[in-house]
Amino acid sequence: MLRFLASRLLRALLTIGMVVTFAFVVLRLSGDPAQIIMGSEAPPEAVAAFRASWGLDQPLWVQYLRYFLAILEGDLGRSMRDGRPALDLVVERIPATLALTLPALLIKLGLGIPAGVTAALHRNSAIDRAVMLLAVAGFTMPSFVLGLLLVLVFAVQLGWLPSGGQEGWRHAILPVVTLGIGGAAALARFTRSAMLEVLGQPYIRTASAKGVPWRAVVSRHALPNAAIPTVTIIGFMVGSLIAGAVVVESVFSWPGVGRLLVVAVANRDLAVVQAILLLVAATMVTANVLVDLLYGALDPRLRAAPKGVR
Amino acid sequence: MPEAPPSPIMLAPPRARRQGLPPLVLFAVGWLGLMLGVALLANVVSPYAYTALDLRNRLSPPIGFGGTTAHWLGTDELGRDVLSRLIHSIRMSLLIAFGATLIGAVVGTTLGLLAAQFRGLVEQAVLALVDFSASLPFLILALAVLAFFGNSLTLFVCLLGLHAWERYARIARGLAISAGAQGYAAAVRQLGASAWRVQLRHVLPNIASTLIVSMTLAFPEIILLESGLSFLGLGVQPPATSLGSMVGYGREYLSRAPWILLSPAAVIVLTTLSVSALGDWLRDRLDPSLD
Repeated sequence: MLRFLASRLLRALLTIGMVVTFAFVVLRLSGDPAQIIMGSEAPPEAVAAFRASWGLDQPLWVQYLRYFLAILEGDLGRSMRDGRPALDLVVERIPATLALTLPALLIKLGLGIPAGVTAALHRNSAIDRAVMLLAVAGFTMPSFVLGLLLVLVFAVQLGWLPSGGQEGWRHAILPVVTLGIGGAAALARFTRSAMLEVLGQPYIRTASAKGVPWRAVVSRHALPNAAIPTVTIIGFMVGSLIAGAVVVESVFSWPGVGRLLVVAVANRDLAVVQAILLLVAATMVTANVLVDLLYGALDPRLRAAPKGVR
Repeated sequence: MPEAPPSPIMLAPPRARRQGLPPLVLFAVGWLGLMLGVALLANVVSPYAYTALDLRNRLSPPIGFGGTTAHWLGTDELGRDVLSRLIHSIRMSLLIAFGATLIGAVVGTTLGLLAAQFRGLVEQAVLALVDFSASLPFLILALAVLAFFGNSLTLFVCLLGLHAWERYARIARGLAISAGAQGYAAAVRQLGASAWRVQLRHVLPNIASTLIVSMTLAFPEIILLESGLSFLGLGVQPPATSLGSMVGYGREYLSRAPWILLSPAAVIVLTTLSVSALGDWLRDRLDPSLD
């Protein structure tokens, strides 16, 4: 178990290293940030001074090494726009984003899993068809379409809720519902197919054949086994808590990490984009490691043979 | 499905119904046929040029809501015909989605087969790349790359092509490894076929149905990604138009002229729904082992 943990952590670190490298390569090789920030009209001395003060006059590998070392010390650079530390800029936006994504996660879990399980247990019934139809509809509708439809109905037509901004909890309702519905639909679909897979297994037939009540078969035998694949997608949802609302935040002008990313990308604010990329990757990788550990807790077979995980 | 024997030959699952297509699948086929027809004949069927202005009829509502037959789906803020723009947007979005799906399938399958063929270091490198793509939501990655490399259409298609490549790579690698251990691959190898001949002429056709089903899963996701990025203003750039960018521009007129964004939004939803329904149906038919 310890060896498994160590190899998993090593791979996680390697992945984060790759993300840092990727961010560096893409962002630095795509153009000259000094020209873009200062504009093409700027006097050459000013551009040169700017480049020197940001270390942009050094060879690329020096910039890369410096960047890597700085990250190890927790320094993600400063925003080229207002000179504040990039990490601070990002971190102060996190609560606003979590205020949307955490309640949305609760909706996803509270709606998606029961719906999927019910649909699977009543396969091919009217309930199953209704759930699946809703799930496919929610799953194929892009979040910006759903969000704008909700705005059209509840803000423009009925005037019940504000269409955007962040002044109070009422402003959060539409974005949270938008995020929650899409995720719940995906989760319901996934839970249903995981449940169906498990319900067709021989051990379920054995359990019913030996006289275990159906209720107990479902709760003791089917649910824990169906949880194993479902945990993967939940892990992904937890991993995207920070950056899972880019589009929805834009629809509702919500000042979270997603808005910051879109604005930073438009302004070519390298440090901020890199900080967000890194933070998102770290969250995602952590969630993946937790999922792998949870697999071990849920499925004794994987504890014995950690190589099979994946 | 679990009773199906683990055979490489595709067997119809026991529950597959033989009597005709389900209504949803029929609808899906019809809708996709319509979309393909519209995309192919865009210049013939669109009543106006998609950039043509009609300044006297700005923000004119669709027919049935006070509009005239001059503009069936109404006009936008510059008096451009929404129907004509919709038709050209469908063509653009489908073109991008087809191109990107193909790129993803080719890149992913190639890397997967490479990993299966050479194992060792190549395989580890491919798996590390797979880990890397799994560590970042694709939208975030795409946002960064797009905004920093600018907005050429070629780059945009290639970027979207990278979506889901790791899925094909993983599937192709797994299937190719297990296929390589089977009699037929060993037999052609014994006959002196080169490694690539074995992979491309013998293994690939045998795993193709699974890969095709994966493509039907990736296609609607790519449409959604394209429209999302274009909605944010970072995808297809004006004067070109796509379904997502139509919704993005229409958003400004949400309260005054909701028809500008409702028609492209409906097309996006119906198209992704149709491809998903068709994909689900195909998967049940061809390959019950995919989830």
